[in-house]
Amino acid sequence: MPDIWGQAAILAKFLLYIGALGATGLVIVRIVFAGPTALVAERMRKQALGLAALTLVAAGLGFMLRGAALTGGADGMTDPEMLGLLWQTPVGDVLLYRLIGAILMIAGLLIPHSGQWIALVGGLLLLWSFAQIGHVRDIAQTGVRLLLLLHLVGVAFWIGVLSPLHRLSRRPDHLSHAARLGHLFGQAATFIVPSLILAGLVMGWMLLGTPTALITTGYGLALITKIALVAGVLVLAAANKLRFVPEMQAGNTNAARHLAQSIEIETTVILAVFATTATLTSVLTLPN
Amino acid sequence: MKKFVLFALLATLSSGAFAHSRIDKTTPENGAVIAEAPAEISFSFANDIRLTRVDMTHADHPPVQLDLGSQKSFGRAFKLPLESMGAGSYLIEWRGLGIDGHAMQGAFKFTVE
Repeated sequence: MPDIWGQAAILAKFLLYIGALGATGLVIVRIVFAGPTALVAERMRKQALGLAALTLVAAGLGFMLRGAALTGGADGMTDPEMLGLLWQTPVGDVLLYRLIGAILMIAGLLIPHSGQWIALVGGLLLLWSFAQIGHVRDIAQTGVRLLLLLHLVGVAFWIGVLSPLHRLSRRPDHLSHAARLGHLFGQAATFIVPSLILAGLVMGWMLLGTPTALITTGYGLALITKIALVAGVLVLAAANKLRFVPEMQAGNTNAARHLAQSIEIETTVILAVFATTATLTSVLTLPN
Repeated sequence: MKKFVLFALLATLSSGAFAHSRIDKTTPENGAVIAEAPAEISFSFANDIRLTRVDMTHADHPPVQLDLGSQKSFGRAFKLPLESMGAGSYLIEWRGLGIDGHAMQGAFKFTVE
């Protein structure tokens, strides 16, 4: 069990995942599905702004908490020697990526029209930062880092559609837009979900080495927890695609209400996936 | 659902060892029983680290922070002078930074008869 600073670092990373993946996802969905999301575009922009600000805070806090972990006390959070030491390691590089990424995202979201492309670059920089540190970096292969980036872009896209789809589904007068967005996302998910699973399996195999490590190591067990949670999300997503969205296309407002409820559960399970991943990447050692 | 999230977090926390704290050898060894307090303690690590803090706790006394002196660069072997506090148990708790940016921590103890 990590100490208080280790636990706080996990919480900061959890918030960082929500901020970075949520903001990037909203920007991607706004670009890819501009038509069906037009009614909630301004709300999506404000949400992305809030999540980008959360990313800035979580990245800075996470960096300072690493300083605290080095001294075992709150003094480490502002100790110039400790923070200077961290700055010289990949932790410093990653902080720089995240600060630039979040600032680009915020700036892009404040500029009308073409600003969304600046925000997208900021978002991709944020996602790329996750491949520059941690266990995937440890296995030091550019291909695996690109695989992680692909995995994260897929996850962000998925998360990014939840809020606008939820919002539209709760408004009976927006039913046709909700049905259209749900349908288009369902089509995209046909490609995204297998890619996500494949990328996850390949990375899991490369990190663990053997299938037995799945059940004989803490890292493997945490990975199983994550896989089980993701499987739960997939079941919900399948129900959305195969049942609720077709009924919504047929004009059934009750189906839209069910979809909104399904999205709320999906969001909660995704938060559990984030919590597991934050733990997995913070306190559990890789086998070998 | 909130309970579910909490459970997932706790389940993974409780199943794993705390990260990245690979220490190869200490002198005195962990759990050693020795006749006299050593004039210095030493650590050897599997990979380069930079020690950031070392505390010593003797018996029931409050912890004392050891002076790292010149041992403030990345390396695998460190020696720190130790002021003898007489007989009793000594707990040495260390923290450091791995070259890859991981925070590391660990502890070992020995007893002076």
